Amino acid sequence: MDWDQLDVNPRVIAAIKKANLRSIKEILNLSGADLQRLTKLSSVDIQYLLRAVSNAVRKNSVLTALQLFQDEDHSTSQHQKLSLGCSVLDSLLRGGIPLTGITEIAGESSAGKTQIGLQLSLSVQYPYKYGGLESGAVYICTEDIFPHKRLQQLIECQPQLRADVPHDVVQKIKFGNSIFVEHAADIETFHEYITKRINVLLARGMVRLIVVDSMAALFRCEFSAKDSVLKAKYLQTFGAKLHQLSSKFRTPVVCINQVTDTIGEGSGADHSSPRSAGKSVAPALGITWSNQLLMRLMVSRTPNLEQPTEDAPCGRPLRTMRVVFAPHLPQFACYYTVKLEGVKGVRMETPT
Amino acid sequence: MEQQRELGSFSLPPSLRAKLVAAGFQTAQEVLDVGPCELSKEIGISKQEALEILQVIKGDSHGNERGSGNTVRKYTALELLEEEQVQGFIVTFCSALDDILGGGVPLMKVTEICGAPGVGKTQLCMQLAVDVQFPECFGGLAGEAVFIDTEGSFMVDRVVDMASACVQHCHLIAEMHPEEGHQAALETFSLENILSHIYYFRCHDYVELLAQVYLLSDFLSEHAKVRLVVIDGVAFPFRHDFEDLSLRTRLLNGLAQQLITIANDHTLAVVLTNQMTTRIGQNCSSLVPALGDSWGHAATIRVILHWENKQRLATLYKSPSQKESTVPYCVTPHGFRDVQLPSPALAENKTNPRKRPRVEEQ
Repeated sequence: MDWDQLDVNPRVIAAIKKANLRSIKEILNLSGADLQRLTKLSSVDIQYLLRAVSNAVRKNSVLTALQLFQDEDHSTSQHQKLSLGCSVLDSLLRGGIPLTGITEIAGESSAGKTQIGLQLSLSVQYPYKYGGLESGAVYICTEDIFPHKRLQQLIECQPQLRADVPHDVVQKIKFGNSIFVEHAADIETFHEYITKRINVLLARGMVRLIVVDSMAALFRCEFSAKDSVLKAKYLQTFGAKLHQLSSKFRTPVVCINQVTDTIGEGSGADHSSPRSAGKSVAPALGITWSNQLLMRLMVSRTPNLEQPTEDAPCGRPLRTMRVVFAPHLPQFACYYTVKLEGVKGVRMETPT
Repeated sequence: MEQQRELGSFSLPPSLRAKLVAAGFQTAQEVLDVGPCELSKEIGISKQEALEILQVIKGDSHGNERGSGNTVRKYTALELLEEEQVQGFIVTFCSALDDILGGGVPLMKVTEICGAPGVGKTQLCMQLAVDVQFPECFGGLAGEAVFIDTEGSFMVDRVVDMASACVQHCHLIAEMHPEEGHQAALETFSLENILSHIYYFRCHDYVELLAQVYLLSDFLSEHAKVRLVVIDGVAFPFRHDFEDLSLRTRLLNGLAQQLITIANDHTLAVVLTNQMTTRIGQNCSSLVPALGDSWGHAATIRVILHWENKQRLATLYKSPSQKESTVPYCVTPHGFRDVQLPSPALAENKTNPRKRPRVEEQ
């Protein structure tokens, strides 16, 4: 920190330099009394100093809620969301995934989590007008290999899925070129990737979506029960780092998570555990991870089948997407199916 | 106007005064508008001198306030009681919760709301930011709100929902009880007005949060109608990357102290949210508020929100004046509300209203 830029008395600046204080963080970490002792300044001077330092950190950052509400600029507005590529699902989420914060999609295996992750990495590439962010996606795989074949299939079928977008717009997007697949099988690799290498992609604007598939796999094998403190620490660090990337680059972070069966009623730590198909399941990783999230979605298969159609004579299994928590959404749910061209919501009476 | 006072009337050294006048400065306000750095460049004096000029001008124009601010007043307990009773509360729109709090969230106190993710902490904060603006003739405070967001969970769409419901509610009251003042109050109590009186600050880490709190008292002096300061949430920035836990404790204690001072000096309610964490005991683990035991002393009032089966419950956990109790609440599209009970018998059992009452089990 260049102290001479600060609007305070040069006498005070000299005292700070003499006391060997190097950063604003260091000053704010000290109490007023400690600062007085270190710099040998009067309490009035210290008060001025603290205010000046705080001003330098905060600039003038107040916004009213009205300004937030009326903000139409898509680089700052809260109304800008990332579309899921399906109007039914978007309306469940009031437009899509919020741009800042971590969104979790939790569910049993084969509930369709990865399908949603893949679809998001495609829809992020559309123009703003069609719910995209005009940029690519990073897909971090931690357990399986990346489903390349399925991705190719989805890319080929984009014109069918996105009938709302003019054909030439879809044709122009080179979907495959903007999805960066990264394999991170262990915690160190993952940590290294999200703290260092991913910054290059984000800073150049090549990427506006981070998908982690899945978070729980990183923690499955390496930690035994007695390591829970260390595990919590890692989860907090990762949560904070992803949060920071998300708000710095206004890039949504979507984390896919598994579920675990909960034993007995009322004994589980997670109170928001919804039931899927009669079983009681809760998202993995516990409350430490839940605390890092902006919103949580739960997907599950149901025993019901969709009305038979021409291309699927026996009807596809219906799945549900349920909002477990989100600051702006009610706990509604809706049905969806996974088709050849992707994930599509079903407009029908919502399951309760 | 003090700000319009001419420079000639300040006790400045003649040489500096001449330089100021030569550079075209005439009133105190003009000098205060430029910072010391700029001032020193502008009129070619050292930064030291520029600062001293500003201090003289500031000192003079705030001279009166300072004189009375430093004297310590003594209060008797009776005076304090009377003062507290006049201060009033911010209602939550959930009458059960208001009751256990003794009327609502009190001014001049720090209230902490703890709970697992998704239980409704942010919802309650947003609701309070709207409720604090309720017009006086409807029994509100007609205040304004400061919202400090550390997690990025302040969703303006949701505030719009709540504010619209609140305006609607006022219109209904006005229709049922047509009184003189109501119509006039309703004209100013609109969605746009509510939104423009919520001041939003986004803090990305704990350094920004500390800095913001240092600046808060100046901001509140300029915005004297603010009756609520929300920090949503305190825990998030302090729960990662802190190797030195004693530093964390010290910073949190300092923060708590500042917030209490702010609450008292500006007659407002401070509402904080906190996360829950698992405490592993000898043979069982339980959920407790985060940030450790010493932080437990920070707030005067502590409310814990939690789930029981599928019902949301609020427990008053710590309060100087009210007894510990638990009430149900719910979060509706309109905001934070009472549970609509189908029959009064259920109210005592606190069972889920959507479930069939299981009387035989009680």
